[in-house]
Amino acid sequence: MNQRQNFDSVLAEREAYNAALAGARRRGGSRPALLAVLVVLALFPLVQLTGANWNYPLHLMLYSFMYIAMTSGWNILGGFAGYISIGHNVFFCIGGYVSGMLLASYGISSFLTAPLAGAVATAVGFCVGFITLRVRGPAFIISSIALLMVARILFDNWDFVGGSNGVSLPRMELPVQYVKIPYYYAMLVIAVASLVASYAIRHSKFGLGLRAISQDEIKAESAGIDTRFYKILAFAISAFFVGMAGAIWGEYMTYIRPNIFLIILVAANMVLMCILGGKGTVAGPVVGTVLLVAFNEFFVSQFGASQINILGTGIVMILALMFFPNGIVGTLRRMGKLPRILDWD
Amino acid sequence: MTDILQILLIGAVLGGVYALMASGLTLIFGVMKIINLAHPIFIIIGAYVSYWLFTLVGLDPILSMPIAMIVLFCLGIVVYKLIFEREAASARYSEMTVLLTFAVALSFDGLLGVLFGNTQRITSPSYAVEAILLGDLFLPKGQFYAGLVSIALIVALAAFLKFTRFGYAIRATTQNRDAAQLLGVNVGLVSTVTFGIGIALAGASGALISFIFSFFPARHWEWIALLMSLIVLGGMGRLMGAVVGAFLLAIVSAFVGSYFGSTWSMMTFYLALFLILLVRPQGLFGEKME
Repeated sequence: MNQRQNFDSVLAEREAYNAALAGARRRGGSRPALLAVLVVLALFPLVQLTGANWNYPLHLMLYSFMYIAMTSGWNILGGFAGYISIGHNVFFCIGGYVSGMLLASYGISSFLTAPLAGAVATAVGFCVGFITLRVRGPAFIISSIALLMVARILFDNWDFVGGSNGVSLPRMELPVQYVKIPYYYAMLVIAVASLVASYAIRHSKFGLGLRAISQDEIKAESAGIDTRFYKILAFAISAFFVGMAGAIWGEYMTYIRPNIFLIILVAANMVLMCILGGKGTVAGPVVGTVLLVAFNEFFVSQFGASQINILGTGIVMILALMFFPNGIVGTLRRMGKLPRILDWD
Repeated sequence: MTDILQILLIGAVLGGVYALMASGLTLIFGVMKIINLAHPIFIIIGAYVSYWLFTLVGLDPILSMPIAMIVLFCLGIVVYKLIFEREAASARYSEMTVLLTFAVALSFDGLLGVLFGNTQRITSPSYAVEAILLGDLFLPKGQFYAGLVSIALIVALAAFLKFTRFGYAIRATTQNRDAAQLLGVNVGLVSTVTFGIGIALAGASGALISFIFSFFPARHWEWIALLMSLIVLGGMGRLMGAVVGAFLLAIVSAFVGSYFGSTWSMMTFYLALFLILLVRPQGLFGEKME
């Protein structure tokens, strides 16, 4: 009898613990503040009405939104499941080319085809993940580099999409002060969607499974998690957001070409922003992106050359990995000093 | 028939060079379990050392190879001491070290770009443009010499590992790090020196490729997947595995290149890498990778 009670109490405790881990635990407080930030961001393009030229700040912000979306996507695989991919810009490229070719051939705007581009990236991600997620750890990282190299050769030599010269896309007819605004909103929507998806995944059974995989895959498997399916699904979802961002970015650049999508710096940025902000946290990609974009701007304005930018990116990455392997959000949380506005988990 | 022999010959000579390029990578993986994504950038640094010695002083790249090795050995030790030594206790060691090597590669890529720009360079000693004719067969002298020197260096490395006390220590650490430490091997020192040797081998192959391939800082991203395919095929951490993998894939890619065009010869390595990871991740001779 006593034993039975004991058993029930243990079970109740475990259920409460699981609910706390997976459930929507919320200390409250940050949600109104975040909504306020979102409203400010949504109203920000109104500054164009003042007559001054705000195009450059708008460009930087939409560029940041793009990287927030891509880094959040990367984080689903690299942060939650612990599978580091250095070839994730392949999906950026696929997204850009799907929408870009539809725009060039049929004149359909990327804003309409972006979800389709994301879906194609997801499908490719599913297939690639099916192959490469059979291995883990270092072998997976190598396979992701190989994927990038294969994609580069294919796109450089595929005549239908213009080979290494790419394809130029029609420009949207808009007065100069409004030319960036549609892209601004598109990227904002994608970024917010990626963050909402990150949050939802982190608080679901699926997210819990991914975290178990990142801790110890064999134990996760023996605990009854279908690790293979979980990993492939995480890969596919992460490809979706990267692909959507690529679709909008291609039209924004007005041309699609392998060397705007398939350069290693794009992949390095995704990895670095996520690590700098905090791998496996929802807010990490945002913090990392804002910091790194600001840092890049500083470098380019002070020194100009993009080569110095690569050097700077590398050194920041070394220092971040050596001294803040948990990232800013992760380190602050461990110290118990994370401001509530950044506690999005 | 002559065609096939010709392709085999070129493939075999290149295989020797690839084997040297991959030998340091596999050595470092064997002892430290670090997948050194920065290996090819060290090869390019070695190539620059030879290039400048040839351009400024007129020193032949094969003769400047020892200098490149010494420079890169020291660089390797410094990088190891500064960055990797403190990671030894890290809980996520393999993931952290791969990311760190990626960051190191990025830093040196940028640094070389700042110093020398992204122009293509190649050293041009007289033999780089000459060829040996063996009946109907044609053998570029540069590739032939590079292949010969590479094979000689690999034999020397194998002898060093097989017959010297320090070589014993390296092999023991490769097989079982904890057991080696228990038996009195100074694992820390072995790791440091092995990292230095591995990078020195990268420097040596850099000196040799400086006259057979044109190089520029960002070229190394192409090579990392190529070198990985060689050592994954042979079984990671095994020197002989890397050599066999290098000869096999170099010959296959030479055939692919001559029948389908040179773009696809690079594709051979990348597809081979996928295929091996898919079918036999531990490679031909290796034990299963973690």
